[in-house]
Amino acid sequence: MASVSLTVNGEAVSAEVEDRTLLVQLLRDHLRLTGTHVGCDTSQCGACVVHMDGRSVKSCTVLAAQASGADVTTIEGIADGDTLHPMQQAFMDNHGLQCGFCTPGMVMSAIDLLKRHPGADEATIRRELEGNLCRCTGYHNIVKAIRQVATAG
Amino acid sequence: MTMFRPENLDDALALRAEREVLPLAGGTDVFPARAVDEAWGRPAALPLLDLSGLFELRGIAETDDGYRVGTLATWSDVIRAELPAGFDGLKQAAREVGGHQIQNRGTLVGNLCNASPAADGLPMLLLLEAEIELASRRRRRRLLLDEFVTGNRRTTLAPDELAVALHIPRPPGDVPSRFLKLGSRHYLVISIAAVAGLVALDGAGAIATARIAVGACSPVACRLTALEAALVGRHIDGGLVPLVAETVPPALSPIDDARGSADYRREAACVLVRRLLMESHSGRVAA
Repeated sequence: MASVSLTVNGEAVSAEVEDRTLLVQLLRDHLRLTGTHVGCDTSQCGACVVHMDGRSVKSCTVLAAQASGADVTTIEGIADGDTLHPMQQAFMDNHGLQCGFCTPGMVMSAIDLLKRHPGADEATIRRELEGNLCRCTGYHNIVKAIRQVATAG
Repeated sequence: MTMFRPENLDDALALRAEREVLPLAGGTDVFPARAVDEAWGRPAALPLLDLSGLFELRGIAETDDGYRVGTLATWSDVIRAELPAGFDGLKQAAREVGGHQIQNRGTLVGNLCNASPAADGLPMLLLLEAEIELASRRRRRRLLLDEFVTGNRRTTLAPDELAVALHIPRPPGDVPSRFLKLGSRHYLVISIAAVAGLVALDGAGAIATARIAVGACSPVACRLTALEAALVGRHIDGGLVPLVAETVPPALSPIDDARGSADYRREAACVLVRRLLMESHSGRVAA
């Protein structure tokens, strides 16, 4: 067993987990933060993207123990009370989802993307979404949503 | 599964000497492979030796004769580092190895230790003549990469050793290197063929230096030594197409697989090498 202590969405969290527990399993199964999804299990689809120390990672590619001491933000941690994060609002405004399975990972990647490329154009957005797959192929409105935030400055 | 998480290299090497473990850095190869094993009910693999707590293995630093890339340096670290033009191709490889999240976790040294024939890091590192530093309780040694990666998923890393760093000599001149990758689509893809090159011209357009390596077309990526030797002194406009067609295919031993046939790979490698030479022509000309 491994003892892990980390910050999740601003709150200090400690847990005893099996060594093999992945960060995504800690978030979903131990902390019941089920907004972070598991799609492929093999680090391809991006449904499990969270921010770790300010950078986007696939939480199925990180052991819970490796996240010890880290500051993790999940989809549950980005809204301000009842006010959605601008990226969540933009996905809603532009219908940037169909089944919604990829949405948490898309939103987390999109926030990181605009942090690194403020005002990103469409080509940059499409390139940077490489690691996030939408099984409904609903990319058009996802890109539109991200552009809305990018152009809002 | 058990996991060890040492906090310094001495402890890590002691654990490595005591038992069979799988060293873990960024995990971008290790975790997907384990998920597949679990899904197919294959027995649990080796215990993990997680190196991520070893701060001494982090970072990219300039040294007297080049650069030291720690075992925990990620592809993102490479992209962000201030490096001379000779590393441009390595940065291109870093951007194409996987999505941003994979670049943030995956490491260059892990890419080498995983020893996939399609590893995108190796072609550039071969032509930069990088050495890998291996440590154990018995010794430290440095190997050129063609002495380290010896086959499909095979390296000369001893069971008690850990790779601790790459040492990359300062590249010649201010000549940009390039990395060209062919996949079945543009992003998130394993290479069908990949070519890395550093080609310098003199003022008159003759080739002064040529270093070219090919990945995914042989069990281990390789330098095209016959082509390199034949290119030196030739004018970049001087009908190099037949030379490429003569020298590139015999240097390769590609396989037929789901991503492409051997014939297709040979042809693709020739096209990428020609494209590389063309880009060297239109790009910056070395003084």
